[in-house]
Amino acid sequence: MTAIKIVLVLAIIAMFWAFRNRSRVGLRAGARLAAILLALVAIVSIIDPTVTQRVAEALGVTRGTDLLLYLLVVVFAATSLGFYFRFRELERRLADLARAAAIREAVTMQGMPTGAAGSAVSEPATDRQG
Amino acid sequence: MTEQAANTDVWVVVRCFNEAQVVRKVIEELRQSFPNVVGVDDGSRDTSSAEMVAAGAVVVRHPINLGGGAALQTGIEFALLDPDAQYFVCFDADGQHCVEDAVSMVERLRRGEEDILIGSRFLGSAQGMPRNRRLLLQGARVFERLTSGVALTDAHNGLRAFTRAFAERLDLQMTDMAYASELLSLIKSSGLRYAEHPVTIRYTDYSRAKGQRSINSVNIAMDIWLHQALRGRRR
Repeated sequence: MTAIKIVLVLAIIAMFWAFRNRSRVGLRAGARLAAILLALVAIVSIIDPTVTQRVAEALGVTRGTDLLLYLLVVVFAATSLGFYFRFRELERRLADLARAAAIREAVTMQGMPTGAAGSAVSEPATDRQG
Repeated sequence: MTEQAANTDVWVVVRCFNEAQVVRKVIEELRQSFPNVVGVDDGSRDTSSAEMVAAGAVVVRHPINLGGGAALQTGIEFALLDPDAQYFVCFDADGQHCVEDAVSMVERLRRGEEDILIGSRFLGSAQGMPRNRRLLLQGARVFERLTSGVALTDAHNGLRAFTRAFAERLDLQMTDMAYASELLSLIKSSGLRYAEHPVTIRYTDYSRAKGQRSINSVNIAMDIWLHQALRGRRR
């Protein structure tokens, strides 16, 4: 078991944990800090490209590019899941908005639903609108 | 007594997306037993809305297509505005359900032994059901038992009836057809009493053509699993 395997498995577990608790403010702050850290690492590895190679060797990976590929896969998965939840949240809000508009329109046009009164709806409140 | 006979305390929710051909007849049949029908037009591009109004339904129209779960939620929220509404029935617009089944479900709810009744074509009968559909539903049954903990003979049946107690708790977030599974989880977590009720499903050429593609079950299962595995804390 090389070090990289442990790192990657831990990263995947951490990812699931993070998404289960995605509404915690601390985690969102952590994600931003990680982004800054990533930028710093990028700058360092541009200045000295041998850094990635040395880190790779320390973790038991043959080439620095392979290490980057592995990490990229993890980051990509995390990003995809992030967007999935983001889109679903947006979809939910859109549904809430459309529902509110639809019900409001139905009530203004056809009146409040009053089944027990005999007819399905009360008289529309047209006279009360300007 | 008269209220019970006339079913004025019942609201039937019919979700409808481009079903102009058949929805009028479905609602006219329903209206013979239930005076209150709310048709939710889920952004249809045909004349579904007009057909439903002509059949005597109150129509709530989504400005855009949102999906089955969202439409059901809209219908229930609208019907809940009627303070006298006690029973709620979900009925498909494509004519595959029988009004008599809905009537007997409401009668059973009135006895007060259950809060939620879910139609089961396997306890009742399914006329002309394609074989692969039967297999798929068996699979869905196992899936539901594993994910929601609700054991049913028919996992995805559009004919359901429930009391106001459950309607007020209804909060469907999955807008598409995955709502059926979400609904079962809600039933489980509500702690209300539920049971299955034998119903007849009529598979017509129309409903077979309009129905969901079987492969869509993969999408549904994946969404449900992600929803449950990564549910997260509700804000």
